[in-house]
Order: sequence, then C-alpha cells, then structure tokens
Amino acid sequence: MTHILTRRATLILTAAALAAPAFAQEADWPSAPVHVYVGFPAGSSPDLLARIITEPLAERLGQPIVIENKPGAGGVIGIQQMLANADDGHAIGTSINGPLTTAARMMGETGFDPQADISPIALIATSPLVLAVSGESEIADLAGFVEAAKAEPGAMSFGSVGQGSGAHLTAELFNSEAGIEMLHVPFTAYAEVTTSIMGGEIDSGFMAPSAALPHVEAGNMKMLGVTSAEPFGQIPDVPVIAGNAGLPDDFKAELWNAFIAPADTDPAVIERLNAEINEILQDETVQQKLLDMGWQAAGGSAGDLTQRIADDTEMWGAVIDTVEAPQ
Amino acid sequence: MQRDWADIWGGAVLALTGLAVAFWAGTRLEFGTLRAMGPGFFPSVLGAGLALLGTAIALPAWRRGAAPVPVRPGDLAAVIAAILIFGFGMDRLGVMLACFLAVLVASIPAPRSGWGWRLALSGIVTALTVAVFVFGLKMGLPLWPDP
Amino acid sequence: MTALEGIAYGFGVALQPGVLIYCLLGVTLGTFIGVLPGIGAMAAISLLLPITYYITPEAALIMLAGVYYGAQYGGAVASILLRLPGTPQSAVTTLDGYPLARQGRAGVALFVSMISSFVGSILGIVVLVLLAGWLSRAATAFGAADYAAMMILGLVAAATIGSGSPVKSFAMVVLGLILGCVGTDVNSGAQRFTFGQTELLDGINLVALAMGLFGVAEVVGNIRDAERQGSPERVSFRQMMPGRDDLRRMPGPILRGTGLGSFFGALPGTGSTLSSFLSYALERRVARRPERFGQGAVEGVAAPEAANNSASITAFVPTLTLGIPGDPIMALMLGALVIHGIQPGPMMLEARPEMFWGLVVSFGIGNMLLLILNLPLIGIWVSMLRIPFRYLYPAILIFVCLGVYSVRGSAFDIGVVAVVGVAGYLMALARFSPALLLLGFVLGPLIETNLRRALLISRGDPLVFLERPIACGFVIATAALIALSIWQARPRLRRNTGESDV
Repeated sequence: MTHILTRRATLILTAAALAAPAFAQEADWPSAPVHVYVGFPAGSSPDLLARIITEPLAERLGQPIVIENKPGAGGVIGIQQMLANADDGHAIGTSINGPLTTAARMMGETGFDPQADISPIALIATSPLVLAVSGESEIADLAGFVEAAKAEPGAMSFGSVGQGSGAHLTAELFNSEAGIEMLHVPFTAYAEVTTSIMGGEIDSGFMAPSAALPHVEAGNMKMLGVTSAEPFGQIPDVPVIAGNAGLPDDFKAELWNAFIAPADTDPAVIERLNAEINEILQDETVQQKLLDMGWQAAGGSAGDLTQRIADDTEMWGAVIDTVEAPQ
Repeated sequence: MQRDWADIWGGAVLALTGLAVAFWAGTRLEFGTLRAMGPGFFPSVLGAGLALLGTAIALPAWRRGAAPVPVRPGDLAAVIAAILIFGFGMDRLGVMLACFLAVLVASIPAPRSGWGWRLALSGIVTALTVAVFVFGLKMGLPLWPDP
Repeated sequence: MTALEGIAYGFGVALQPGVLIYCLLGVTLGTFIGVLPGIGAMAAISLLLPITYYITPEAALIMLAGVYYGAQYGGAVASILLRLPGTPQSAVTTLDGYPLARQGRAGVALFVSMISSFVGSILGIVVLVLLAGWLSRAATAFGAADYAAMMILGLVAAATIGSGSPVKSFAMVVLGLILGCVGTDVNSGAQRFTFGQTELLDGINLVALAMGLFGVAEVVGNIRDAERQGSPERVSFRQMMPGRDDLRRMPGPILRGTGLGSFFGALPGTGSTLSSFLSYALERRVARRPERFGQGAVEGVAAPEAANNSASITAFVPTLTLGIPGDPIMALMLGALVIHGIQPGPMMLEARPEMFWGLVVSFGIGNMLLLILNLPLIGIWVSMLRIPFRYLYPAILIFVCLGVYSVRGSAFDIGVVAVVGVAGYLMALARFSPALLLLGFVLGPLIETNLRRALLISRGDPLVFLERPIACGFVIATAALIALSIWQARPRLRRNTGESDV
C-alpha cells in the first residue's frame, strides 16, 4: 500500500523516457508501477525484507513499486492475490519457502500449484534456525542435549510456531536424524515459544536466530546449534549441527525468501528482474541490513530457485511423511 | 395471545446451529479424549451446549407473551446490498463508482422521497471517502475501473 | 538508574522538538483513526511504518505508541455516539455509553470516557514505572494452565454483564466460542469450519465480526426510528459537563478499572479485552443498584475506559522488558525498531535507556495532548448527532467497509460483514447481546489452545490445574464465583417464573 517513489527514481524515469528510442525493447516493461504482493503484514520480517529489496529495485526499474500486504494462511493468500491480479509482469510477489514447498501438503487446497502456476525469479535470502534452551538449563551443548533426550524418550519437549511450520518440521528432521523422540508443543508465534522456554514449561525450540538472540544476550536462553551448513553471520559463535553430536554431515534446514511471478510472465521480464535483484544483493549495505534481521543474502539464477523449490518440497515432504505415519 | 416469537425463533435457530456444529465437528474432526483433546472436542461440546441453551430459550418462550418485534426486511436488504456492492465492486469498478452506487442503494429505504438528494448524497460521500481513505490514509485502492 | 533519574532523563528525550512533534502526530492520528469505525491502530501503524525509516528510532517508537493509545480515546467516540465499536474493548463502552447518548447525554458520556481514559493512563504509567520488574516476572511465570484458568474465570465473571436473561447471555458466549473455533486448529493443524475458504484459515476477522454484529443492526434499526425521533436539541457546553452526581460516581470505578487494567494489560495476550469486561462486571456487582447498568450508568463507561487505557500502557511491559510483544500491534512496533537495527529485548533498558524512559515520559505527554485535543472535540462530535440519520448512515456503511478492508486488504472480509450483519440484525431484534458474543469469540481460542497445551505438556494429567499455584487460585475463584451466582440467583429465579423479561 506504500508508494516508494524517490526523487532519484523520478529522475531516472525522466532519463528513461528521454532515452526511450535507444532501447525500445526494454521500454515496454515496466510501463506502469509494479505491484509486489507480500503475504505478511506490514512490519513483519518478510515485509521488511521485501522493502529492503524493492527500494533500490524501484530506482533501477524507473517505476515506482507498490507493496501490497495481503497477509493470511502463512503467506498463501499473498500468492493467490498475486495470481488473481496478474498483469504482464506488473504484479509480482515475494514468498517464504512454506507456501511454495509444504503448504499444499499441510493445508490440502491452496488454490495454486507451485510447479505450474509460479515462475520463480530469484532467491533473496536464507535463514537457518537455532536450537535454543533455557539459560537455566543444565544442558551445555548439543551432545548433552541429544544425550538427555535419549535418556528418557518422549520426556523432553519442543515448541514450534504451528503444525507444519518450519520450526516444527526442522525439529522433526532433527529428531529423526539424531534418533531421539520429543513431544511437540505447537504455539503461534516465537514470542510465545520464548516465554514458555524461559518459564520452564517446555524444554527447547528451533527458532529464528533474531528471535532468540536478545534473550541469549540477557542470559535467559542458550543456543546449542544452528541448522545451516556453515556458521551463521549473525551468530558466528554458535556451532553448526551438521556433523555434531552424531548428526549427519549434510544436516541442513533453512528457511528462505524469494521473488516470484505468475507462470505466464514474459521470460525477458524474469531475466531482467533476476539480473537487477542479483546486483542489488551484491551491495554490502543491503547484505548488512538483511543480516541484522537474521537473513543471509543469497541470489542465483531463476533456475537455481526452481531447483531449490523442488529439492525442499521433496525433503520436507519426506519429513511430513514421518510425522503423519504414526497417527 | 401473542407469543414471544423473538425468543422462540432465536432459541430454535441457536439450537439448530448447535446441532449442526456438533454434527459437523463430530463427523469430520477427531474428538480425542478428555486428557488428549482432539480438534473436534471443543466444537462438539460447545455445539451440544448451544443446542441445550437454545432449547432452554425457546421452550419457556412458547408459554410467554411478548410485544411483536417489527422486522424490516426491506431496509436490511438495501443495507446488505450496499455493503456487497461496495465490497465486491471496489476492485472491478473502482472506489468512485462502487461507492457512489453503494450509497445510492443504501439510501433507498430512507424516509424521504426524491432522487435529487440521494444523488447529491452519493456524490458527497464518494468525495469524502476518496479524500479520507485514498488521499488522506493512502490506502492503495483503484479509483476507476481497470481498463 | 533510579526511577526518578530515569524520568528526568526521559523528559530530556521526549521534549526534544523532533520527538515531541511526532508524539503529537501519533496521538492526533490515533484519535481520528480510532473515531473511524473499524479502522484501528493496526492499520494506522502499517500506514505510518514507512515514515519511520526517515526519523530517529525514539521518535518512531513514540509516534507509533501514540497511535496505539490514542486510538483507544477515539474508539470510545464511535462506540458512544453510534454504537459502532471497532474492538471488543470498546464494545463494553457501548453498553452504557450508547444509552447515555440516546438520553441526550452524549456529551457527558464522552466527557466521562475522556477523563477516565486520562486518569487510567496516568495511573497506568505510575504502575509501569514502579512495578515493571514485578509485572514482567508475572508475565513469564504464567504458563498455559494458568492462562486457561484465568481466561475461564474471566469468561464466567463477564458472562453476567448482559442485562437480559442469563440463559440468553450464556448462549451468546457459547456462540462466540464456536465462531472462535473457525480456522486452523493450533494444536493439530486441522481445518475447522473453513469450507475450503483460504481466507478463513486464520479464523474470522475480528473487526469484520464486530462491524457486522453492531454496525449493520444499528443502521437498519435506526433508518426509520431516528427520523421519527427528530434530531436532538442543541446542548450547551454546561450540559455536556458531567454533573456533581456523575463526578461523585467516577473515582471508585476508575480506580478499580485501572487496577484490573494495569494487571491484565501486562500479560501477553488479550489482557485489555479481559480487563474491560471484568471491570464492567465488577462495577455491576459492587453497585448498590445494578439494574441501572445497561440503562446509561456513568460507572459503566468510566470503569472499562479506565481499564482499557491503563492496559494499553502496561501492555508495553512485556514488550519493553522482555522483548515479547503481547499483541500483533506491539509486534509491528518492534518491527519498526528492527528497521533501525535495534534488537528489542531484555537488554534494551540497559543498552538503550533513552528508548525506555523516553517512551514512558512520552506516554504522559501524549495523554496530556490527547486530553487537550479531545475535550474541545466533544462539542463537535455531539453536534454530529444533529445531522439527520439519512445523511449519516450511508457514509457509516462505506466507512465500516473500508475499515474492515484496511485490516488485511481483503474484500472477502467485507462479505463477512454482510453475512454477519444479517445475523446481527436478527439478534438485535431478539435482544441477544453482541458484546458477549465478541467476548466469547476473543477468549475462546485462547482458552482452548491453552487448555489443550497445558494437558499436552502435563501428558494428559488434569491435576496440573490444581498443582500450579496460579492456576489453582483461578480455579478456586471460578468455583466460588459460580457458587455465589447460583446463591444470589435463587430468589430472583423464583420471582421471575412466568414473567416476561422483554
């Protein structure tokens, strides 16, 4: 709902109009303000991330970018709205991994098929999760955690931000890879999980590094491990889970955020957007802004993103199979 | 005797709603146990409770008198139509047309004859709406129909 | 830093011209947006968020906070004059505020609401400064079992506020609880009563429900009646002022409302809603003539307004001391800090004292500004009632629709207003209380998830509700309250047999 239109954008716009005949092919897109659909409310992490990218993007495209916040159903409504308002590349969107990978399995009907209806543009950033326990916990490291969980199967509990959320599935993946059993206690927000861990009601939880960090600094929580393959820039001291405490070397679970478009978007438009976004992601101040929010700048081709969606759909699908199996 | 129809109908509708909710939840959702409640537990119990309460409202009302309640279906229809015209017309017609039409329809039941003031009112409310919401609060709404 | 030093330091922050102007902007916008039915602080803050990129983080937080508590002042106006509450809290204010307005005492009702809001806020600030540490410990000490027990107590206590038959009141609470079940079940992920609509996965939109229940019924019911009654007489400023009798009735309710509001406000969740309903129920219980409630009792406006305003101040306790936002609006404000690279959390008080103390002092300044802004506006609001209803109601409908749309940009939600509106109109005809439905709707999901979560964590052992001291206290209080109500209802039931209550 917000117009990002800076004076510089206007200047570029004028320049582009003057120079129009020189590159006639590019002049027909974007011919109007570009609407970016975000499936989360203004001020949320995916919204702030979209704004960090669209501000320089608007300058580069020479058209204002309008962020359309259409929150609901874990980001699915944002994609539905983008598809409903498809307008020759003037309606694109951002999405977290959930709606493109696991939503169809968890929700039944989402109203779109990620393979057939979506044309990926570029991966923006990834975020690992950290395994956090109370600051008063006697568990000192990941090995101690696995040991304690093995001592009494099912006695330890973990919180998540809902059935089928990244936090839930990551914990289930961790459980099966570590060969342990824990009780799942679903919440709706990291704030609730944090309170519950600090109050001693539940034992642990996988959560976004930025959600855990302030409480770790205050000594109320401890981070035992991070789910990325390499140590994460925001919390460089936290060891990776992969290859630690008996977990496989390729253990990796990341949330991500990407730009997408409706499937019938002109490939040239996708190409242009991908190139611009990749250049924006090279900017160190953009990288730092993302990192402050707990996101690691990513990038890559549209094909890389397509592959990522396919890989993650398969990987999390297998985890969902194991979760659903016993019931 | 004029029975207390408001409570009879109110109670009956609530009782039926309760039964429908309990039935839907009972057949489609897992009930669980008292110790491990499933997603169907609350709706089933609440539905049954509502059915009982509805009955408890409707039955005594049968033996009780009450003044009749004036129902105005025409007024209700105009108001609901206005809401729907605005809500679903906004995207297609734009705020200007949707708002103008909605106000016009809403004003039909108003107890004063003539179309002149209705058209004027529609124009004024539309202008006010656009000023407050589109220009004042910067809500991203289409003003005119999408070509 | 002691509290006094902190406050002195806070004045230094909050009185900077670059901060003060944004405080004024925030509270002014908050008031006006609160007056518009349906548009709440959430929509206003989303709109202001982009501005916060360009100002200092102190100014940003102070401005957004101003919108948050300023909207509470404005919310009372639509509730009292038009019976259009945008939030469950202001639904309580309609119970006696609207009857007052109908008696030609709208000015008095608004005056009482402004004064109660102001006093409630100021006392809330005192509580925040003196008891922040204690309240933040209380917030973490509350577990799922404690929340469930507390909400059940609140529901039972508040279910008595309807003025008609208790069975009908209770039926509305249960219907509200059922509507609260719509959406994805937190514990199992199962979809309940969504009928394949993605828009219903997160539940029915609260604002759409409130607007449908109150707004449509009010408009349809008044199209003909309001015209017949003619527009109210012009009232002088003196008549708008509460009389000595009104003033005498205010201190008790304000103090009790503030007490409840400051405590419940500090608990993450819906402390504000619960405290408004509870303070109203409490006043009814302690009143010498409880039958005055619902007919325009000044106490029925003073207590809930004091409660929800003090709650909107202490709601900052968990946010500021623990970094744990109590509601989505708080989460949004924390998002605004993140834009500036400030990580809100338990260390913020030490690391960025200017944020904490600046904000606390700005609460005081902001509430002063709100009082100065709102008292002269009372006359304008009241004179609005002199506009013939036929000119007013079409505009009300459009504003309601846009208010609902502003929550999450969804046309589906406007459709919800239409559907709920039909039911709301029929319910109003049959004298069912929409406020109680709203209470059940808000508390239902919290009771259910916390109850089931408590049993999940205790591995199905129901004794958890007696073993935890906080939960046990609430369980005993609930049992006592039910016993008391049955005891008190005995003679009345006998008298009422065969009589009509309509």
